[in-house]
Amino acid sequence: MAISKDAYSVLESIVGSEYISEDPVVCEGYRSGPGGYESGVGYERVMTRIPGCIIMPRTTAEVQKIVKVCCRYQIPYVPYSTGFYGPRSHPHVENALLIDMKRMNDFEIDAKHLYVVVGPGLIYSQLQEEALRKGCYVVVGGGGAQASVIANLIGDGWSPLSHRIGLPHRRILGTELVLPDGELVRMGSLAYNDDPFWGEGIGPDLRGLLRGFTGHRGFLGIVTKMAIKLLPFQPERLEPTGISPNTTLQLPEKRVKWINFTMPNKESLGKAMFEIARAEIAGAVTKVPIFWRVIARSSSKEEYWELWSKENEETIANFHVLRVMLIGFTSEEQMAYDERVLMDIIGELGGEARRTRPTDESWIKNADSAGMWIMCGGYVSVDYVIETLEHAIPHGENYAKLKRNYTPPLMPDYGDPGWFQSFELGHQGYSEFLVYWDPDENTDGVDHFYLETSKENIRKRFYTSLLGSHQPLYLTGPSYGPNYHKWLLAIKEEFDPNYVCHPPVPLNHDLFVERAEWMRPMKDWEGPEIKPGNWSY
Amino acid sequence: MPEEKVSLDVTNLDNFIYDMSRCIKCKGCTWVDHIYMPGVKFSTRCPSATRYQFDSYGAYGKMRIGVGIAENRMDYSQKLLEIMYACTLCGACDVGCKRNLDLEIELTLEALRIKLVKEGKGPMPEHKKIAENIATKHNSLGAPHENRQKWLPQEIKPATKADVLYFVGCSASYTNPEIAQSTVKILNAAGTPFMLMPDEWCCGNILYSVGMIDEARELAKRNIQVVKDSGATTLLTACAEGYRMWKVDYPKMLNISTADLGFQVVHLVEYADELIKNGALKLKYPVDLRLTYHDSCSLSRLSEPWVPWEGTRGLWGAVKPNLERRRGTNGVYQQPRDILSAIPGLELVEPIRKRENTFCCGAGRGTKEAFPDFALWAAQHKLTEVKEVGAEAVVSACPWCKNNFAQAISKNGDKLKTFDISELILASIGA
Repeated sequence: MAISKDAYSVLESIVGSEYISEDPVVCEGYRSGPGGYESGVGYERVMTRIPGCIIMPRTTAEVQKIVKVCCRYQIPYVPYSTGFYGPRSHPHVENALLIDMKRMNDFEIDAKHLYVVVGPGLIYSQLQEEALRKGCYVVVGGGGAQASVIANLIGDGWSPLSHRIGLPHRRILGTELVLPDGELVRMGSLAYNDDPFWGEGIGPDLRGLLRGFTGHRGFLGIVTKMAIKLLPFQPERLEPTGISPNTTLQLPEKRVKWINFTMPNKESLGKAMFEIARAEIAGAVTKVPIFWRVIARSSSKEEYWELWSKENEETIANFHVLRVMLIGFTSEEQMAYDERVLMDIIGELGGEARRTRPTDESWIKNADSAGMWIMCGGYVSVDYVIETLEHAIPHGENYAKLKRNYTPPLMPDYGDPGWFQSFELGHQGYSEFLVYWDPDENTDGVDHFYLETSKENIRKRFYTSLLGSHQPLYLTGPSYGPNYHKWLLAIKEEFDPNYVCHPPVPLNHDLFVERAEWMRPMKDWEGPEIKPGNWSY
Repeated sequence: MPEEKVSLDVTNLDNFIYDMSRCIKCKGCTWVDHIYMPGVKFSTRCPSATRYQFDSYGAYGKMRIGVGIAENRMDYSQKLLEIMYACTLCGACDVGCKRNLDLEIELTLEALRIKLVKEGKGPMPEHKKIAENIATKHNSLGAPHENRQKWLPQEIKPATKADVLYFVGCSASYTNPEIAQSTVKILNAAGTPFMLMPDEWCCGNILYSVGMIDEARELAKRNIQVVKDSGATTLLTACAEGYRMWKVDYPKMLNISTADLGFQVVHLVEYADELIKNGALKLKYPVDLRLTYHDSCSLSRLSEPWVPWEGTRGLWGAVKPNLERRRGTNGVYQQPRDILSAIPGLELVEPIRKRENTFCCGAGRGTKEAFPDFALWAAQHKLTEVKEVGAEAVVSACPWCKNNFAQAISKNGDKLKTFDISELILASIGA
């Protein structure tokens, strides 16, 4: 028995016997790997454990009670919304209680005041459909249509549509958080009343909390409710069409359309992004990795490799496609005006419009992150950078160079600089670097590359959003702060001194480097003696 | 990386270790295709995951448990059996996965059940009783074999020799004679001579579904030989489960292509649709109903023909030679809709989840027998959707669906009606 009989009985009395199990088969079904985001690599193999017990609460009050029981009986626990975010959202210690939040899928939309209040069980495509019906939209993060809205926003999920909207955490109006001791704290507008419209409140600034540590994976408590800003959309229906696997949204072309442009070089592509943003037009602007385009054109993994094998360093270096989505938010005339402005910008920069299908497969409702695995079977986005466009574009190019040293085991991508785009109408630039590998190969190089990118960021002064749980805290903390790591640990120890809540986050990647012998030679920073909490790792 | 030999042979779980180990928990197997996502209500298509909620009951959980079985890490506990068998094998997970990942989820689930039987752990006790019925009485229900053709109306005279052989199936022979009767009357009205098997036996659907492949294969051989001996060129059935069995699972078990069966397998809706379109059947009498059509899994997303494949898997998981994956794209979706739309007075409203996104009725593949409460729950869940779109009735093309819906309606005390499509065709042609 993973947890004591007494503790189990109390937990069972909270949710009912139907919603708790410590059966080994049920727990095995919650294993992190072998497949999935960041799975099949060293971190997943070394750090994750099968949960000892699963519980599925329905309400915030139940979550509070569960957490209090965990504190009383010293049961390590991990909140889990969909499990998609790979090993970092799974238990890292033996006999942990996994709190599966999927039953907490309540939502309440206020279309007049443009906000929605959601529970952690709600996923993006559900919310997007509910929002579209009311003339609003949300930005479905690159984490995918299947991602929990709350979990993804905690992880700061973004998409090409962030061009207009900017950082996701700015859309969070209020957060309800069950602290590691079971007490409830409400932040933002939820701090003082039930009107989430305003986004500001007494207490700590929740946006700062998220910005400070992307992806806390529950180590500072469990978010049980979030109020999120909705955005006004155009009124025409986006019609689903096709049969699986070829399903798509048919776009009303006078109100929503994608246009792909071929630009003469990377400088003009970056300049176009900046000018489009400066003109304050378009709903999405992005440059995506070329292999995504090949995925879209392929009917199978085998066809993908047939097509991809025709590419080389030169074709990739000379491929500069800019994708722009126009949205007639206010009228057809507004979109027509935007299109004329867009064409002027592209024309002046020597670009040409390509024939583009009047459909959307992968961003408005169905962020197709699951398709990332078709090529190789292993995938992770090693880094996200949000700074300026001038900063973001070289970030990917730099990583592409670094990646050559780790290819194989990483997939050959011939120097593709990854995904970059404008954020918040050009006030920010975004870069995401994605890597792929075959999990059946030796993946030590993947682990090495992951860590080496952290060092590269420090060397080259790239601003990463993945501080903390995705990188060794004692590596990044002194450089991004300074003393960022000390502050973070002080906060953790204030709220959760026994590391009951998702141990050993935020020291998980430090511990991984200690425990994986193939990682130790890379450790050239000072770190703590690591064994947070009294747990069996 | 050395290439490894692999095939679609479900008797060897090793063939599916790749598929099990590449599941990424995107849960595309459970959610409705996100493009068609209808909102918070009716957002899932997997009955097991929706009913039991623990991840372990979704394909993502079963794939992980399956890896444990393949690696001999799992105890064959009662809970393991329950998780593997409280599943309608409806194929929703398979088409959902193939939207993005192309993993062979349905075949893996079948292979897991076969493995459980091979290990002497499966199937469930209720399934063993059915196997006994089939062995002794040649039908899954345990009904007297001599009553198998009792459904046949006196005025209908099957031919002794014809191109079309109507395979009735256990359900239509015993529990749903109205479907068999409607079917033969339709054929009669169209002037289509048809035969019946002189001694029809069960198709073996449940045997195969629960992993008893040896017994199912023997039935397949026997039944195929009967058709060949009859000289029929077309095997017609009005049962979706039977249709899939003949068209997909028989060839699968015998390692041949559907095209190599030696005769074509058609469902009544395919046949009738053609008869209606070429004028041989006239839908003239109105049926004043607002109804919705339920895509039976085995007629829709699971019905694409079978082609055996073996080859190698190498770097990146790519296979050679080319593998044409069965993704449910070419299921029988349109023909029943065309038929219903052509019936005067009938108003066809689509359910919220349709075609490849349909929520299974819950009856098939051994579920109803071993987990009757779950099967009934699934039907009740589906009926809430039927009511949501304002339909007065739900029509399907499978006796399993009709039966299960009928029981759920009865239990709910609903005013809803349920029909088999053959009954509505018959009502409209007036035969």
